Amino acid sequence: MSTINFANREINFKIVYYGPGLSGKTTNLKWIYSRIPEGRKGEMVSLATEDERTLFFDFLPLDLGEVKGFKTRFHLYTVPGQVFYNASRKLILRGVDGIVFVADSAPNRLRANAESMRNMRENLAEYGLKVEDLPVVLQVNKRDLPDALPVEMVRAVVDPEGRFPTFEAVATEGRGVFETLKEVSRLVLARVGSGA
Amino acid sequence: MVEPSLVLYGALYERALGVLDETLRETGARYALLIDRKGFVLAHKEALWAPKPPPLDSLATLVAGNAAATQALAKLLGEARFQEVVHQGEHMGLYVDEAGEAALLVLVFDENAPLGKIKLHGKRAAETLARLAEEALANPPKLNLDTQYREEAKALLDELFGN
Ligand SMILES: Nc1nc2c(ncn2[C@@H]2O[C@H](COP(=O)(O)OP(=O)(O)O)[C@@H](O)[C@H]2O)c(=O)[nH]1
Ligand SMILES: [Mg+2]
Repeated sequence: MSTINFANREINFKIVYYGPGLSGKTTNLKWIYSRIPEGRKGEMVSLATEDERTLFFDFLPLDLGEVKGFKTRFHLYTVPGQVFYNASRKLILRGVDGIVFVADSAPNRLRANAESMRNMRENLAEYGLKVEDLPVVLQVNKRDLPDALPVEMVRAVVDPEGRFPTFEAVATEGRGVFETLKEVSRLVLARVGSGA
Repeated sequence: MVEPSLVLYGALYERALGVLDETLRETGARYALLIDRKGFVLAHKEALWAPKPPPLDSLATLVAGNAAATQALAKLLGEARFQEVVHQGEHMGLYVDEAGEAALLVLVFDENAPLGKIKLHGKRAAETLARLAEEALANPPKLNLDTQYREEAKALLDELFGN
């Protein structure tokens, strides 16, 4: 589903950061933006409320460079996590090539993680997609919380079959942020030209 | 794959550029873009006299997001679609129209471009571009990106995101 622009010799991929509200999706993008050198990133666009909650999406374009004569780019998006923004969330999934599911390690967010994953499945289904058809990487964030749940417990509710590559993260400190992004990028690129 | 990718290249791409170019001349707009519904730029043209445009990635993403939201609103109200959208500020304006199911035409204009012309020629261009997009969708290119592409891309991932 990547967008290929033969004329400009560009190939573009859309990666969406999904997950419950406040799990750290925007923080991931902010960290990436702060660490990628000029010239390899575009402007970061955030459609947020005054208290910095994502209203529609955050957007960050990254330039991987030229591969076999094709400029290869990733467009990173976050969705608004709050339950009542589902209409917007659905729109952002359109044409997605890969997903990072950012789960929250806080004990009181366990149910929110599970609900968000279920909601993602439902929204993908509206585009005729299954989670199993897409590269999905699980990021278990906020590992620095003193009462962080064991990773396995978080995983059990969002990915009971252990299907997704999983990374622990502390997005505020950048821990696990690039590892996650690299893995989802790798999986997305691996599907190029493979008929997927 | 549910939503086929719209790929413009070769003669179709040249024709799309021709349409955008002509629309700039007819309307006096600054920039004309054809973007897909995901917010990627498929083709764009700038008037020779126009200053440097804002980042096109951001422009395309926001227009596509806006169009998707507008379309969802139309559906909520039981409409198949809303007409073209015009935003007008004190100096600058934006015209967005559907170019078929898969693409959007975007015109950025300033106060010197008459709105009547923007709408008239914008509508015509959108119709022509819709036909081009349909042709392109009916003839998807065979992409010959192989394992070598993936290997090279991986090396770049290491470079950009670290090992
Ligand atoms: N302790 C801790 N807080 C985090 C971490 N990542 C994000 N946060 C905080 O969680 C809050 C919500 O983050 P945000 O990125 O806006 O969440 P989003 O709703 O998923 O976009 C902010 O106050 C962040 O600073 C983390 O790894 N550890
Ligand atoms: Mg956010």
